[in-house]
Amino acid sequence: MHLTGLDLLFWATGFGAHLILLSVLLIRRRYRQFPIFTAFIFMNVLRTIVLYFTESLGTKATYFYTFWSLGILDTLLQISVVCEMYALTFRPLGGWARDTRPVFKWLVMTTVVVAAGLAWLAAPHARLWIQVVVIKGTFFSSVLMTELFVAMIALSVKSGLPSKTHVARISEGLGFYSAVDVLVEAAHSYFGVGRGVHIYTTLSQVRMTAYLVCVGYWIVTLWLEAPAEREMPDRIFSQLIELKSAVDSDLEEIRVRK
Amino acid sequence: MVDSRTIVFFLAVAAFLVAMATIAVRSYRRAAKSSTKDWEHLLKRLQVVDRSSIAEVALDIIDESGQQRRDEGSAGLNPEQIWKLVGGLKGLEVLKANCEVLIDLAFYVQQWYPEALVVAEQLRLSAREIEFHVERLKGAERTGKLKSAFAMYAQPAVGKYYLMTRRLLALYEERNLPMLAALQKAL
Repeated sequence: MHLTGLDLLFWATGFGAHLILLSVLLIRRRYRQFPIFTAFIFMNVLRTIVLYFTESLGTKATYFYTFWSLGILDTLLQISVVCEMYALTFRPLGGWARDTRPVFKWLVMTTVVVAAGLAWLAAPHARLWIQVVVIKGTFFSSVLMTELFVAMIALSVKSGLPSKTHVARISEGLGFYSAVDVLVEAAHSYFGVGRGVHIYTTLSQVRMTAYLVCVGYWIVTLWLEAPAEREMPDRIFSQLIELKSAVDSDLEEIRVRK
Repeated sequence: MVDSRTIVFFLAVAAFLVAMATIAVRSYRRAAKSSTKDWEHLLKRLQVVDRSSIAEVALDIIDESGQQRRDEGSAGLNPEQIWKLVGGLKGLEVLKANCEVLIDLAFYVQQWYPEALVVAEQLRLSAREIEFHVERLKGAERTGKLKSAFAMYAQPAVGKYYLMTRRLLALYEERNLPMLAALQKAL
């Protein structure tokens, strides 16, 4: 495969950005709070190295299978990162919040159905069935990721469970990238791979640019410390206790009368 | 030439992205409303309710101390009267909006005062459950069964809401807080 100077620039920039982000996660000890996200970034560094040597030393077929195998692993890790962010937001006391549990079942079903519906509508222009599967699969994944991150933000606000600062920043980054990816994959589906590699490459570069913006955002926000926790004034604490007991009492009465 | 399936596909993708952007923006706006304001600002968001009507509905089944009334004159209001006094669905909307304020208060506390996480979480769960009961009434309204469901769920909810607001005001009075006048007006 012939790589242009721009391709190599993207490759090198992506590799460097991931190395910096990995260093931030290690130096600031964020890996303790985000082990899966750290694994996801580490895997990206490793993938770049593996693909570089496969491209240099291997055959075209070897590169193809390595590229897509690692792509599947990347998608699985992204889904794991989603789970990690959900767990950090919706388990305030160590267990899943009682009121959010029933929502998750519907959330997963709805997001999968919507993503599958959109992927079904896509009719990629491609010569080989494997290319159709790859384009539809990638599109499905990006739609699903966008839905999950937007749903996480909406559910956390609706239920009154705020995301911690760094959780919010990671989620915003992945959500933004996934939304851009939906557009890129939709365009991939329309242009396909049969009308020339040039458009495919250009679209991939758009996606990589969005991802680099996202990695840059993570580097800055994960380097910075979260706003310091405040000491709760006695006045607010006592009001909170009284309010809580009043609401509890109300609720008991409502439950009894149900 | 673009075929009809491709047109439908791109329209669906556009609708999807617009929906996602709308949900995200609305959520961020609400989060900003909860997290950038201070405690007093959040309390101010409690909506004004017709106190005398709420009291009449509440005191039909409970006394001032919050105990269940057992006398002969208790539970004398019929569903139509309760419906009118509570202000129908509009009144329920106010109750729901005030529950949202409680949830926002819990959101605020969890964000800034993690030391009070346990209490805030319990308050949040309780407010969410009251909100759920109000949603049931709204659901009954949609299926045309509101009148029968109203007396069953609304009067106890209103009664307890009344007690909760009385206690909150008493708390402010006890501590001689400057917000009292505004809070009395809101509640």
